[in-house]
Amino acid sequence: MDLSLNEKRLLKVLETVKKGDPATLAARMDTTAESVIQFALLLEGRGLARVEKKVNTTYQLTEEGARYARDGLPERQMIRSFADRIPMSDLKKHPLSGIGIGQMRKKGWVTIRDGIVEKTGMDAPGSDEIALADLSAGGEGVALLQKRGLLCEHQETVYTITLTPEGEALAAKGLDLAEEVGTLTREQITSGAWKDLRLRRYRLETLPRKIYPGKVHPYQRLLDEMRQILLEMGFAEIYGGLVQSSFWNFDALFQPQDHPAREMQDTFFLKETVPVPLGFEKVRDMHLHGGTTSSTGWGGHWSRGKAEQCVLRTHTTSLSIQHLVAHPEPPVKVFCIGRVYRRESIDSTHLAEFEQLEGIVMDRDVTFRHLLGFLKEFYGRMGFEDVRFRPGYFPYTEPSVEPEVYVDGLGWVEMGGAGIFREEVRAPWGVAHPVLAWGLGVSRVAMLRLGLKDLRQLYRTDIDLVRETPLWRQAREIRGGQ
Amino acid sequence: MAVITLHYRYLERLVGCDRATILERLPMIGSDIERVEEDHVDVEFFPSRPDLFSVEGVARAMRGFLGIETGLPEYRVTPSGISFSVDPGLASIRPYLGTAVIRGIALDEESILSLMGLQEALHWALGRGRSKVAIGIHDLDRVTPPFRYVAAERTRAFVPLDYDREMTMEEILEEHPKGRAYAAIVRDFPKFPLIVDACNQVLSFPPIINGELTRVTADSRNLLLDTTGTDERAVMTAVNIICTALADAGGRIESVLVSGSHVPSLAPSTRLVSARECSALLGVDLTPADLSLLLQRMRFAAEPAGDDGVRVTVPCYRADIMHDWDIFEDAAIAYGYENFRAALPPTFTIGRAHPAMVIASTVRSLGTGLGYQEVIPFTLTSERVMYQKMQRPDAPETLCVLHPISEENTIVRTAILPLLIEMLQFNRHRELPQRLFAVGDVVEGLATFQKSAFVSLHPAADFSEAYAVADALCRELSIPYTTQESGDPAFIQGRRGSLVANGRTVGTFGEIHPAVLNAFELEHPVAAVEIDLTAVPGYPSGQGTP
Repeated sequence: MDLSLNEKRLLKVLETVKKGDPATLAARMDTTAESVIQFALLLEGRGLARVEKKVNTTYQLTEEGARYARDGLPERQMIRSFADRIPMSDLKKHPLSGIGIGQMRKKGWVTIRDGIVEKTGMDAPGSDEIALADLSAGGEGVALLQKRGLLCEHQETVYTITLTPEGEALAAKGLDLAEEVGTLTREQITSGAWKDLRLRRYRLETLPRKIYPGKVHPYQRLLDEMRQILLEMGFAEIYGGLVQSSFWNFDALFQPQDHPAREMQDTFFLKETVPVPLGFEKVRDMHLHGGTTSSTGWGGHWSRGKAEQCVLRTHTTSLSIQHLVAHPEPPVKVFCIGRVYRRESIDSTHLAEFEQLEGIVMDRDVTFRHLLGFLKEFYGRMGFEDVRFRPGYFPYTEPSVEPEVYVDGLGWVEMGGAGIFREEVRAPWGVAHPVLAWGLGVSRVAMLRLGLKDLRQLYRTDIDLVRETPLWRQAREIRGGQ
Repeated sequence: MAVITLHYRYLERLVGCDRATILERLPMIGSDIERVEEDHVDVEFFPSRPDLFSVEGVARAMRGFLGIETGLPEYRVTPSGISFSVDPGLASIRPYLGTAVIRGIALDEESILSLMGLQEALHWALGRGRSKVAIGIHDLDRVTPPFRYVAAERTRAFVPLDYDREMTMEEILEEHPKGRAYAAIVRDFPKFPLIVDACNQVLSFPPIINGELTRVTADSRNLLLDTTGTDERAVMTAVNIICTALADAGGRIESVLVSGSHVPSLAPSTRLVSARECSALLGVDLTPADLSLLLQRMRFAAEPAGDDGVRVTVPCYRADIMHDWDIFEDAAIAYGYENFRAALPPTFTIGRAHPAMVIASTVRSLGTGLGYQEVIPFTLTSERVMYQKMQRPDAPETLCVLHPISEENTIVRTAILPLLIEMLQFNRHRELPQRLFAVGDVVEGLATFQKSAFVSLHPAADFSEAYAVADALCRELSIPYTTQESGDPAFIQGRRGSLVANGRTVGTFGEIHPAVLNAFELEHPVAAVEIDLTAVPGYPSGQGTP
């Protein structure tokens, strides 16, 4: 058996005294009682000693309690202060009336009728007064006093350490008490003294304290993974403001001005406005009659004022269209991950703000088949191997598609939306080639990945979620499933 | 979203096919099956296809999609001899009227439910909550033509649906449940829209409520439709969708004379589209003949016209066909989304991260290197958290949302530090030390840019720790800085500093004021730093401004 020096020293002492409390043992070992308990527990783990623990409770009067122990409880002092009866108004003049009157009534010592306090004669000392005289009596009286804050409880843990027969046998064989060293010093290392040292051994059973490395939030790690995939696929990243004009957020995307998404109950509107850009007339005409395309447009009216109202962006597509306007020549392949806003009541599955991932591919000769191919590849790289497509509807794409991925335990899960920008969207800006577009609510993927039940957990972070979520998990686990 | 209830028996009878086949193929025409019940299924259809908001409309589309009956459905309209006048006084109130007579209908429970569901879904999708279009359907035999659509006095009284006493239109807006729900659409007009018959009996107070007089029951055989609104195209679309559904339910459609023209005509429109353009869009080689066949399954009439053209006849109920590509999408649906061979786009480009995001990533690796945990707070917050609890004055450049949904979400953050301190409050019961950082967007005025903040909470947190972190951040991000005494009331006086770079204050650091700790219910000192990332050399300027 491989005992530490301290264990051996304690065993040695126990060999003589057989049994003792930590303080006595500590005195003989020239150490502290706390250390003795530590060493004893180690010995107990090896079956060489037994550690008995007993909690002793003692009570001590508070300052107020001590006063009452001398003079009597307030109700006792008061009941002594008058004969059989007394008007309430007089009794109230007693300095202890604040506590005393209530207690006298509660204990049934007096009755109060028509402003007169009258003794009932049943005022023998109760268990509390008995306990006040002698705390060792314990029982109900002590509890009552404690409740009134007249005494406080002290708990003391008493250890008794006893040598077991196994310990005795081992000690009898003789113990090597050569000094052990805990920490190696520079001096010992450089001088070569380490050669003669006995280094204390550590126990593997004693678990290390937990330390937490600084980490990127697991949700951000997922966003970074998606960014990485898109960068690897040749996309350039774009970034832009949270505040957008309705023109770029809606009108430029051919969303009619009376569309429900443009009402104040769905979108966060701001009092600020920004002017419509140069060339807005072509967008206006597109809404009114389809401009020079085969489109009929939405008809009705188009208000410039409505287009100039600012909103918190409801999608990052407002950035994609502005990028296209600035870069109308092919090829364009860009993506964006950013916060978007919906005027939703917040609950476990709805937030007023969340991240959207979206991107576009504009080039000569790209087709609907390429859109599906891109989606399959992207979701495949995210670990969703089974992808299927259903017709979808989005105001600014035609054709539109809803991709679904297969998740074990959940079945087919809708995973964002995609389509080809309507000609009405790109034509006003001289963008002559098809624009494949897709978007994805990333928080949904994060819920699947992190196994969360409540979307709010992503943003109102419990530090332990970050601390306990490992940086790396085997791909199969983290990709495509929970 | 419009969720439509389809009763199997009625659906199977109209489609001529079993429910299993219908349910299997229904999603592939563009719908989400919400709930499958024993006798019915609830299906969500897209707002672009109001013609699918009835069992009759779905059955018509599915007959084509399943190949049971393809091509254009024909609808005959004969004149009813009835006329309907429109009062010019309505021009500024609710000018447009659509109408039709439907005869010989035999409604059963399921077709009445389908009709009511259609009416409700059209009010939502086309009608924008009845403001743009409102629909009334009446028992024609209870009233006497001709009919008049007039602007009437607000005190005109009649018995509204579901009531047994006369009420004035003003009373209806105050007391009737429908009146209260839709009062906002008409309340401010001096006169109210009203539909009356030759004997001055009231049929309807559009867009609010019909009269009890013309209530439709299973015994009604002949119906009068009124559709009123503010957008002529939407009003006519609603008429077309309801008339074609009722014709499919067995009714004969008759036209009504309105301002000299016969309404409705239910006439289809035509478009000449290019098979080559369609092929290029979808990535599938389609000849005009191929495209014609696909479109016939979507209930268009379609025939090749020349070596590239296809002449497409679009039924009157297809309100969504605005552009040739809308027709091409239908061709794609008929082709079957599951039949496209997916292929990667051939476009070659080089990936490039955005500099602002690269800087954010750099801050993240710096934060974790310093032993801090990243958190991702909300960007919406309140003046209370952003300023009052921080003892900071409200910043004039704060962006307020116009109709906040709760007191916690009234503004967009101008700083991240208050949200980090709030995050410490959320984590009061967690083990110390707690070191948190965040990097993300803030908005000042209308401009979005990035900031980053760091907080450290533990019994020994102090100014020196904050200064050391601020210094490390600036050194690692190559921000040449000097310091100045700060006046920021969120920090303890004498234990706070400003970071100044190129003559501009770009950050603050120090020991958080105990009153702020009290406000956030924190019990240990907090060392904190916040830095404006536009100070980082190479941060792209001006990209976050609309």
